[in-house]
Amino acid sequence: MDPRHESLLHARRSFLTTFANGVGGLALASLLKDDGVLAAETGVSADAATPLAMRPPHFAPKAKACIFIFLEGAPSQLDLFDPKPKLNELHGQKLPESMTKNVRFAFIQKESAVLMGCNRKWQKYGPAGMDISDLLPNIAGCADDIAFVRSMHTDAFNHHPGQLMMNTGVPMFGRPSIGSWLNYGLGNASNDLPGYVVLTAGRGTSGGASNWTSGFMPSTYQGVLFRNQGEPVLNLNSPSGLSREMQRESLDALAALNEERRRQLHDPEIASRIASYELAFRMQSSAPELIDLSSETADTLEAYGVNRADEKDGGKFRGGAPGVMRSFATNCLLARRMVERGVRYVNLYHASWDHHSNIDNELPFNCRMADQPVAALLKDLKQRGLLDSTLVVWAGEFGRTPLGENRNGRDSNTGRDHHPNAFTLWMAGGGIRGGQVIGKTDDIGWGVVEDPVHINDFHATLLHLFGLDHLKLTYRFQGRDFRLTDVAGKVVNKLLA
Amino acid sequence: MRHSFNLLSLAVLCCVTHLALADEKQAPAALPPAADQQIDFERDIRPIFAKSCVSCHGAEKAESDLRLDTKAGAATGGASGPAWAAGKSAESLLVQYIAGTSDSGTVMPPEGQRLSPQQIGLVRAWIDQGAAWPDDAGGVRGSSHWSFQPMRKEAPPAVKHPAWVRNGIDAFVLARLEAEGITPSTEADRGTLIRRLSLDLLGLPPAPVEVEDFLRDNRPDAYEQLVDRLLASPHYGERWGRHWLDLARYADSDGYEKDTPRPFAWRYRNWVIDALNSDLPFDQFTIQQLAGDLLPNADTNARVATGFHRNTLLNKEGGADQEEFRVAATIDRVNTTGAVWLGLTVACAQCHTHKYDPIQQREYYGLFAFFNSLKDEDIPAALAEEVSAYQLAKTAYDAEHARLQAEVTRYEQATLPARQAEWEKGVDAQSIVGWNDARIATAKSAGGATLEIRPDSSLFASGANPDVDTYTLVLEGDFAGATGLRLETLSDAALGGKGPGRTPHGNFVLNELRVALVAPDADALAADAGQLVALDKAIADFTQKQFSAAATIDGDAKTGWAVEGGLGQDHELVISFKEPLAALAGARLVVTLDQQHGGSHTLGRLRLSTTTAKDPLVLKGLPGRYLAELAKPTGERSPEARAAIDGYFRSTDKELQKLQQAVDKHAKRAPVDPNSTTKAQAFVELPKPRETHVLIKGDFLRPGATVDAHTLSVLPPLTKRGERPDRLDLARWLVDPENPLVSRVTVNRVWQRYFGRGLVASSNDFGTQGDKPTHPELLDWLAREFIARGWSQKQLHKLIVTSAVYRQSSAARPELAERDAYNTLLARQNRNRVEAEIVRDVALAASGLMNQAIGGPSVRPVQPDGVADLGYSGSVKWPTSKGADRYRRGMYTFFQRTVPYPMLMTFDAPDSNTTCTRRERSNTPLQALTLLNDPTFVECAQTLARRIVRETPAPAGGVVDVPGRVRHAFLLCLSREPTTPERDALLRLYERQRALCEAAPAEAAKLLGQAESKADEKLSEQETIELAAWVMVGRTLLNTDEFITRE
Repeated sequence: MDPRHESLLHARRSFLTTFANGVGGLALASLLKDDGVLAAETGVSADAATPLAMRPPHFAPKAKACIFIFLEGAPSQLDLFDPKPKLNELHGQKLPESMTKNVRFAFIQKESAVLMGCNRKWQKYGPAGMDISDLLPNIAGCADDIAFVRSMHTDAFNHHPGQLMMNTGVPMFGRPSIGSWLNYGLGNASNDLPGYVVLTAGRGTSGGASNWTSGFMPSTYQGVLFRNQGEPVLNLNSPSGLSREMQRESLDALAALNEERRRQLHDPEIASRIASYELAFRMQSSAPELIDLSSETADTLEAYGVNRADEKDGGKFRGGAPGVMRSFATNCLLARRMVERGVRYVNLYHASWDHHSNIDNELPFNCRMADQPVAALLKDLKQRGLLDSTLVVWAGEFGRTPLGENRNGRDSNTGRDHHPNAFTLWMAGGGIRGGQVIGKTDDIGWGVVEDPVHINDFHATLLHLFGLDHLKLTYRFQGRDFRLTDVAGKVVNKLLA
Repeated sequence: MRHSFNLLSLAVLCCVTHLALADEKQAPAALPPAADQQIDFERDIRPIFAKSCVSCHGAEKAESDLRLDTKAGAATGGASGPAWAAGKSAESLLVQYIAGTSDSGTVMPPEGQRLSPQQIGLVRAWIDQGAAWPDDAGGVRGSSHWSFQPMRKEAPPAVKHPAWVRNGIDAFVLARLEAEGITPSTEADRGTLIRRLSLDLLGLPPAPVEVEDFLRDNRPDAYEQLVDRLLASPHYGERWGRHWLDLARYADSDGYEKDTPRPFAWRYRNWVIDALNSDLPFDQFTIQQLAGDLLPNADTNARVATGFHRNTLLNKEGGADQEEFRVAATIDRVNTTGAVWLGLTVACAQCHTHKYDPIQQREYYGLFAFFNSLKDEDIPAALAEEVSAYQLAKTAYDAEHARLQAEVTRYEQATLPARQAEWEKGVDAQSIVGWNDARIATAKSAGGATLEIRPDSSLFASGANPDVDTYTLVLEGDFAGATGLRLETLSDAALGGKGPGRTPHGNFVLNELRVALVAPDADALAADAGQLVALDKAIADFTQKQFSAAATIDGDAKTGWAVEGGLGQDHELVISFKEPLAALAGARLVVTLDQQHGGSHTLGRLRLSTTTAKDPLVLKGLPGRYLAELAKPTGERSPEARAAIDGYFRSTDKELQKLQQAVDKHAKRAPVDPNSTTKAQAFVELPKPRETHVLIKGDFLRPGATVDAHTLSVLPPLTKRGERPDRLDLARWLVDPENPLVSRVTVNRVWQRYFGRGLVASSNDFGTQGDKPTHPELLDWLAREFIARGWSQKQLHKLIVTSAVYRQSSAARPELAERDAYNTLLARQNRNRVEAEIVRDVALAASGLMNQAIGGPSVRPVQPDGVADLGYSGSVKWPTSKGADRYRRGMYTFFQRTVPYPMLMTFDAPDSNTTCTRRERSNTPLQALTLLNDPTFVECAQTLARRIVRETPAPAGGVVDVPGRVRHAFLLCLSREPTTPERDALLRLYERQRALCEAAPAEAAKLLGQAESKADEKLSEQETIELAAWVMVGRTLLNTDEFITRE
């Protein structure tokens, strides 16, 4: 056990046993269960008093944590991961009507749409010869650890439903997101931090908090939004003028009052309340420690690009909010620090990759922002021996069309529309066999021709890496057992190491 | 919460086992053994048939003539003979087919997942035990499930201890307890009871004085009196209205990407509050919300009620298929109606025939048809108080308006004619301004516009509409002695916004106006022709801000005259010359109009005139052609001349102007009709209804067979008023006393609010997969009572809260923990954390900050910085409300679907995207941090400290009674006296905090926050330290589990 962790645990035990009147054995038991100390003995399923207690997986897991990098708006796979020489040959030509007849577009005018080539330079990386465009040189350097899935497809073609699909498995409001399922299934491995943390850089996402919702599950399982400016957790700081000593004294009095009540009424929910105040108190010190980067070496900060200045004209790009270079890099580093501290699921968001126009300027900008920190994260995890147990995912909500956009017939629109039929995401670490490409799309990237992977399949695989059978991980609500994979999904075995 | 959660966990475990078993792909080689358990057909067998058999052996198609969906059909058997032989499972065809051991080698089902050995074992055991199949509800409704059966007429049973029984509820509960040999808990103490009742009925804690009054009230019916008083409080409508808003998925924005605010959503919320406060019977409450617009003589109120189904999400994202989202909204309306009134998960039948409940997919779209022809409409819906305030203001306004107008009229009749006669006597043509319309001989547009000269001497521009233009106009006539020029800009229906300019909205910008006098023989259109006339001053009847009349003659081509704010009307610009013109006969004037603003801000229609009046700078001058008529007696003037001369005189009469201005000024203060500002979200039926189709797999792009509106066949039949049944028929069908579900579902949900758990725990699922009622006779008795008491919700509340069952103590009973872990027998009350909004309300109430105003638009209380920024593209704005609006009850907090108020969400408020019949109750560190540090709760602690100190002053010359203050703080927050250990803990806390504050007095001062009025608060250092210590005590009390719990 991490010595820091041990001393905290010790401090807490002594607090509970020496504390005025003594908190009852029940409360202590529930707190110890939080620590996972008793989990093996009891083997309980989630119950209200200890919803975050550690629970065993269905079988031996590979991954213990996941860092999910969500590129909101949907990056173009045709310009990053899935080169199509044929598309360049056919540049400017119409697609046969048979291909577009039954397809809906958000903005493309079907009648006059033409194919759009790609202006990127491509190179092959690693033994598998993985194609990566010139926009992601640093990530390309990690190709040996990365598995591409070029045959992703989804059910939704608008942003918000698409994001809900990627995060919750269905394109509707109300279902729990991946991180909620993992914490519901496995409990929280961190002593001082929530098990599901969300970090955003730049402007907001179109789905907002619904992307990290716990849906019909209790809010214990929802993503906790840490912020990289001001308080990392809402309401973390005590009011002005209130010292930590005053806080400790008042929490002791509070525990005494609550304990007195528990003694009279015998309600274990009161013990749970006492425990939640203790975790809150620990978070007040652990969360600021978490975001304090002063213990990181200059080399590490440099590698992630934590001190990168904004580009001079960065503000003119849709993805270019003030300070975005810095905050995205910081989020990547924070993700590693959280994983080190036992956070099970870290969700990084950046918007927007929705390049309907000006793709040859907007996409390079976003890639300049993301490439260095994401690559640094992969290398850092690997060097620290964490990559084997940490799954890293790069994904948007869908892909982009091989057809160029011609909205209002304006020539200045050089971009691509939403494309749910075929897109690429990649995974690394956490039991993934790197240096390989799964699936294949046709010559112009319109449809999948080999190994199609639906989002439900992707989710089944993700749960599998955590030692969870997606068919068994169920939650009963409104008379039905729900799964992250809805009514479908199968594990993509080729991805597994 | 704890209990229901444990149940859920249990259910999950069961299901995990089930799935794990079902997952085994291998068909068994031999016949699996029969299960070793007592079989319940509804629980164990029907789901297997429903899932794996009925799609081929059911009502839709009966392969091999075998049906496994009805008792009669199954018993008859199929083409191969009887499906089973009771008691002989191994020889039964059904078992051989599902096990794959039949001679034919066929395995059922032929497609999809095979039955697991365990499932086959269940079927075997069922057959071996006699193949009992309960009657299908008398063979009429096709289901034997309890909730579809008529409500039973149950009388409260006899009990051994009738003294405990206060009403029928108690008899049912006690009979069961007695059967189990359990005694009920004692009644909670009076302090707990009043806090319980206040929180349950109003969502507010009782004030200390209310507690004391109740403790002292010795009347035998003191409790009933209290219940009556609380039910009569207008806060009752808020409390139970909020519960209803959970079901109505109420929110103040559209949801999805744009998440546009809904400024009128609150109007429906007001309706709900009012309806509950007036105890609108639940059947009417239902009918108005589902079909208020179809009621005969539907009034505004009934139409506002239909806002219930306007709370669906709306997607305005670019490229979204509007039909897709209209269908999605309609589906939501069907699902919500099914969940709220029927307690059924009809949603499952959206894509396929319901696996467990007797709902066909066709029936689902039959319900869909009732809602398929709606069109959203925002209707005028002023509140009654707004209307009466308006009427009052309007009456006063009209009286004043009439008075002012009468003064004008009186003056016009009594004084004006004499004055005009007087004026006419002394008038001479030189002293009044007569305008002679100029004849435009040539008109040229530099930008290529077509300039047409009309018979009324006006000029009309059409054709090309350049960004900028310069008009060069050559005027012919007698200009000798001319002193000024008038440019009339005229409105015209043919112009955008009726003109006078040529932009789409009718504006223009005249940058420069030049006048040149050209000698009779010179070329008027030559560059620099003639002599520029020196211009003196320019005035206009109307000017747009920063576009003055003077700008037309200032020599600066960038400035100009424009008339936004007066578009669509005639205007005039009058320019005086420095010297009267010395023009020879035949000389011409060339007027140049520069319009360089861009964006087609050019003149559309205009007229020019000149005058020889001494001082031409008068607006509304007299047309020159009437000057001659001035000399004639009034009676001999032409009607046009009379009107023009009278009008001219009126415009010069200062007294009349003054009176008229008073009228105009007053008119600007006319009260605004609230029906133009307060709207409500409602809808109308399309004149021509849409055709409804079954949507294959629920996909709106795959319409199947057409369907007519109809209800579920498992329930009593629908009565329709006309040819096609409509929503009003549907609503009346729902609340027909014969309907076995609506009353049961409703009383169960009310019960759930009072006990934390319904008599049917799955309050959202009364179907076959839901929980069975713990007290079925009580449920039916209550459901019938509800109807018998005229669907009065207040009477239902009173019935429940005056029962002995409700009044029990909520202390856990360790001796029953094993036997009745979830307290289903109700041998005590349950403790429940209050809902998110009430967490806020109790803190505001205890501190005294609360603004208790009822109803009205939503407000935006303080939230931590940066929260709203998470909305799309910064489109979500959160301008924090000011003043008392900051302290309104939680239910009035603006609910922005994509970025909901964090405090509410932390405490498990529903996300409002779909109907919520039961809230979760979580217990997280984020809740602790919210109560400890959220700005609102910190402010409550600070205000509470001041209140404690203010309300327990030291006696004159004496010292403060600190234990007395602790006692008062306890009463304010928890409505009771502290126990000795509690009092001591707080006294110790107070002393320690005071010592810590003394060590750092400057820090302590910060703890006090902002006083309501700085002037009122001048504290010594000692007082500051003491107050700071009380802030810490107050904050601790606000964070106790008990504070946010209904005991």
